[in-house]
Amino acid sequence: MAERRYRSASGAPLALRCRQHSASCRELAVRCPRLQLRSLSAVTSAVWLAAYGLFVLCENSVVLSAAIFLMLIGLIIYLHCVKIDQESLLVIGSLGIQLTSSYASGKESTTFIEMSQVKDVVINEAIHMQKVIYYLCILLRDPQDPQGVSEVVPLFQVSVTE
Amino acid sequence: MAAGRAQSVCMVSDFFYPNMGGVESHIYQLSQCLIERGHKVLVVTHAYGGRKGVRYLTNGLKVYYLPLRVMYNQSTATTLFHSLPLLRYIFVRERVTIVHAHSSFSAMAHDALFHAKIMGLRTVFTDHSLFGFADVSSVLTNKLLTVSLCDTNHIICVSYTSKENTVLRAALDPRIVSVIPNAVDPTDFTPDPSRRDDSTVTIVVVSRLVYRKGIDLLSGIIPELCQKYPELHFLVGGEGPKRIVLEEVRERYQLHDRVRLLGALEHQDVRDVLVQGHIFLNTSLTEAFCMAIVEAASCGLQVVSTRVGGIPEVLPEDLIILCEPSVKSLCDGIEKAIAQLRSGKLPSPESVHNKVYERVADEVVLPMDERLDRLISHCGPVTGYIFALFAVLSFLFLLFLRWMTPDSVIDVAIDATGPNGAWTKHCFLGKRERIKEEPPSSRSAQMERTNAPVPRGFKAC
Amino acid sequence: MVLKVFFPSCCSSAESGILIGRWISEQNSAVILAVVHFPFIPVQVKHYLREVQQVTKVSVSVLGSWNNSKQEKEESLSEFLEDLGTIFSHEPWIQISKEGDSKFWNCSTLQKQSDIHREEEIILVYYDQRKVMLSHLHPPLDTADHGAEDASKLSAIFNTVANSKVLFMTDRYDDGPIKMTHWQSDGIEASIIVELMKQASVPACMLLTFLLSLVSGVCNSRVLKFWPLSFLWSKLSTCEQLGHRLQHLQVISSSKKAQNQTQLMRKANIFVSLLIDVALGILLMSWLYRKNQIGHLADTLIPVADHVAEELQDLLQWLMGAPAGLKMNRALDQVLGRFFLYHIHLWISYIHLMSPFIEMILWYVGLSACLGLTVALCILSDIIALLTFHIYCFYVYGARLYCLKIYGLSSLWRLFRGKKWNVLRQRVDSCSYDLDQLFIGTLLFTILLFLLPTTALYYLVFTLLRLLVVIVQGLIHLLVDLINSVPLYSIILRFCRSYRLAAGVKFRVLEQQDGKPLRLLMQINPLSYGNVVQTYRLPTYSCYPKDSWTSLCKKLFLGELIYPWKHKGEKQE
Repeated sequence: MAERRYRSASGAPLALRCRQHSASCRELAVRCPRLQLRSLSAVTSAVWLAAYGLFVLCENSVVLSAAIFLMLIGLIIYLHCVKIDQESLLVIGSLGIQLTSSYASGKESTTFIEMSQVKDVVINEAIHMQKVIYYLCILLRDPQDPQGVSEVVPLFQVSVTE
Repeated sequence: MAAGRAQSVCMVSDFFYPNMGGVESHIYQLSQCLIERGHKVLVVTHAYGGRKGVRYLTNGLKVYYLPLRVMYNQSTATTLFHSLPLLRYIFVRERVTIVHAHSSFSAMAHDALFHAKIMGLRTVFTDHSLFGFADVSSVLTNKLLTVSLCDTNHIICVSYTSKENTVLRAALDPRIVSVIPNAVDPTDFTPDPSRRDDSTVTIVVVSRLVYRKGIDLLSGIIPELCQKYPELHFLVGGEGPKRIVLEEVRERYQLHDRVRLLGALEHQDVRDVLVQGHIFLNTSLTEAFCMAIVEAASCGLQVVSTRVGGIPEVLPEDLIILCEPSVKSLCDGIEKAIAQLRSGKLPSPESVHNKVYERVADEVVLPMDERLDRLISHCGPVTGYIFALFAVLSFLFLLFLRWMTPDSVIDVAIDATGPNGAWTKHCFLGKRERIKEEPPSSRSAQMERTNAPVPRGFKAC
Repeated sequence: MVLKVFFPSCCSSAESGILIGRWISEQNSAVILAVVHFPFIPVQVKHYLREVQQVTKVSVSVLGSWNNSKQEKEESLSEFLEDLGTIFSHEPWIQISKEGDSKFWNCSTLQKQSDIHREEEIILVYYDQRKVMLSHLHPPLDTADHGAEDASKLSAIFNTVANSKVLFMTDRYDDGPIKMTHWQSDGIEASIIVELMKQASVPACMLLTFLLSLVSGVCNSRVLKFWPLSFLWSKLSTCEQLGHRLQHLQVISSSKKAQNQTQLMRKANIFVSLLIDVALGILLMSWLYRKNQIGHLADTLIPVADHVAEELQDLLQWLMGAPAGLKMNRALDQVLGRFFLYHIHLWISYIHLMSPFIEMILWYVGLSACLGLTVALCILSDIIALLTFHIYCFYVYGARLYCLKIYGLSSLWRLFRGKKWNVLRQRVDSCSYDLDQLFIGTLLFTILLFLLPTTALYYLVFTLLRLLVVIVQGLIHLLVDLINSVPLYSIILRFCRSYRLAAGVKFRVLEQQDGKPLRLLMQINPLSYGNVVQTYRLPTYSCYPKDSWTSLCKKLFLGELIYPWKHKGEKQE
């Protein structure tokens, strides 16, 4: 249950937690920094200032209510579908690998990969935005062609790139 | 094995495999030779179709295919700024010490020079082509070259003609320009007389089918010679916009059985094409150094070429028949060649590159203020000030990037050749032994590849 | 290799007994299907298992013992359970024991033949039999013959559970010689209503099929296949939509049983989409006919059409002068302008002729809304197309003229460069022209070049108008496609019974104690909503135009005609 601190490719702090459930089952979790109150308040005040400026110009109070409404919708969407708090990897010996990413709203999306599907686990390099980064990925076996790779599943995608 | 300090060299050019041509194979072979000498080499080029990201070639040569937009003729668009973040990231993570840009056609090479100088890295530039001075496009390119080369540490040209041309175009100090002729690996291009059909005479042309390569001349030569010699055949390898001209000639004179157009060739197939012929014809209108004629001569073909640019320096008199770039003169040359068929080889002098790097590594990179002075004084008032402004902007951009992602955050890339080139040593040793074992059938094979004498092109300054 | 025991969560409170299930040696895992309670007679159990094996083709056997001691541990019972291993020989013999209400169970294996007691790690995986069965993660039952090669995969477990469906169907109150605990299917009592509905739906379907065959017979009759009519049908989106719905009805009413999960879902989706469509349509109709909305609509429609025509007239007058200060070729400008003005004149008189009947037409057309909202929308789109027919005509004239000029200019430009288009080889060849040819070519080129701006202006204006209409029609078609294609049933199912649409499984690590086996909970991982829509989307009849934005722009520049409707293989017009 040790927690170690690292930095992501862009320098954001990350926390890695390893848990050994049993001899053949362990869980690795990477936690991203939570939503900062500072950035949230900055965005909110920016939107409201813009809305107020518009309101002064056109003198229509619909603008203000629309701004609040849009802000709320945007925040919900951001928390529910964009902001990922934690990504974890559960490795169960002879059964498979399970990837879970939990969003800030509590939503979890899970993928389970059977052990028989896993061909290899490799570290690769990729050009991401304006960076060249290393990433860890699982190669899946192609059912038709035993030598081929059907899919590349990158792990800890958000934590690494963010 | 490594003489002097091991450098980390970054080759930058828009032209690299899978694109085919002289510059591409030059970069590849140069990189292989440098890796063999213990340097770390990486190549940066733009993405070719689906080939994006990071790839590894033989002996751990790392190639970055950057996703930049291609503008014209496989050359990327240049804004001087948009490629800075990625190139900086690569330079930092690979701990690059020398940036080596290739070809003045490549916008990316110029960009990389510009960025490298701002970041305080040593720069080397190799010019592979000749330019005129008269037309508008030449004037513009020459101005750009002046700006980009005026504070480059060293410049390499492939022939004396090319050196003169570059020095004049870019208004350079001739002392920082070296001449290092290109080379071919003679073991890849060996003659094979059994593949020829000696009942006929076959003329081989391997070049891109574009205006610069004199395809219009070729279209004049083909019908004239075919009428005169009924046993003459043409074999044309390459692809380009001028292919249509050759097709028309073939249709008009009913030469379908005698003129074969092979289309684009892979580099490894070039030898197979070359050995099928007796005479190699090069009709270029301008050429700094012609790799194709060296390859052809190495395969034992009689070379007939136009007397332009650096071509006269490439091969000794007895291996080549030089003609004026006109249909009549070329026809005479080929007729002469048909009479006498001889073969020959040329040495491979890549090793000289190493000396340039060692020298460059000792030089000082100009500080920012001196650089601005030099830009302004060197490049004329208008361009000078504009580019000085660009340089300042670029420097500010670099500061911003350094603030966004500090150098300390960027991962250091793992050297694909292993610690001290341990993973590739074995492979090179094997290769050298193989070369030694070869019977000394040709002149170049007798020379030890790495100990090759300074070729006649090189002038130490 | 780790030993995995898949244990049904419904059996966790069962009384002590023996575990029956399937042993999958490739994965070193045991799938427990049920617990047989004490007391039993071993021979009867063996007989029963043999029967089950014959029916299900699953090699069901006794895997081990289950000890659920509510009170203090009884020494005698545990010894007895170990002895059972000798009666039902199985390798390895699994012993699971639960003490009191503790969540942590003891689990051990006995290897009788190999005397060395190997310390093997055991993972207990709880699963829900009902959800696993309904999730359809197993391969279809009829193709399960080649199960041998899949034995190493997780689907073998689902397969085992699904194949032993018969085991769960047995009635709870049926007093057999053996008492067992397993998931109990709802049995016959609960499904009586469903059965009745099924019975009732058969004659209804037959009636529907008969009616449908009648309708389609009329549609396919030869009278409607003559050239002008068939051309008209293919242009009207209402007919397309009706045909599409007819196909849907045929699919629903067909008496054939849905073969697999996908087809079943498709049928259900079509049914729900049809229901929603008709409901919306009736809602619309009730609104239309309540307060004489039709009359209002008709009263506004005619002035609008008139207004549009007048605006166009003004626009043409403006173009005939010096539009935006551009100097045009006066003669050509006048000719074109008059030509278009005459068209508008014709159009206005046509509208006026129609105006008394508009309300009546609308009233009857409004009735069609009971066929569904999509049909009503398609009719709306057709009405728009009919009312803006003059714009279409202008556009076609303008485009043809412009196209002709561009074509002429490009071929004459080739003539200047000593080139010509080789039709046989589909490429540009070089060609030497005579002096006369060059002279005529130059003359024509000059004329065309100087007349081009005038034509281009007319073309530009009418193209913009046309694009406006195309966009409106496109939006309506998009809405229709949306209603046609959304798999509503699947989405509702995903919302209420998420395990029915499974993408796979996921595991949750349950809390554990040192020395006890690791406990995992196997859950069904539902498809995400996006995937549900993607997988079960109903195919629509109108394929979207395949051209990208660049090709569309190129078409516009070259003056080729653009259509809002699909291209159906053959080139239109």
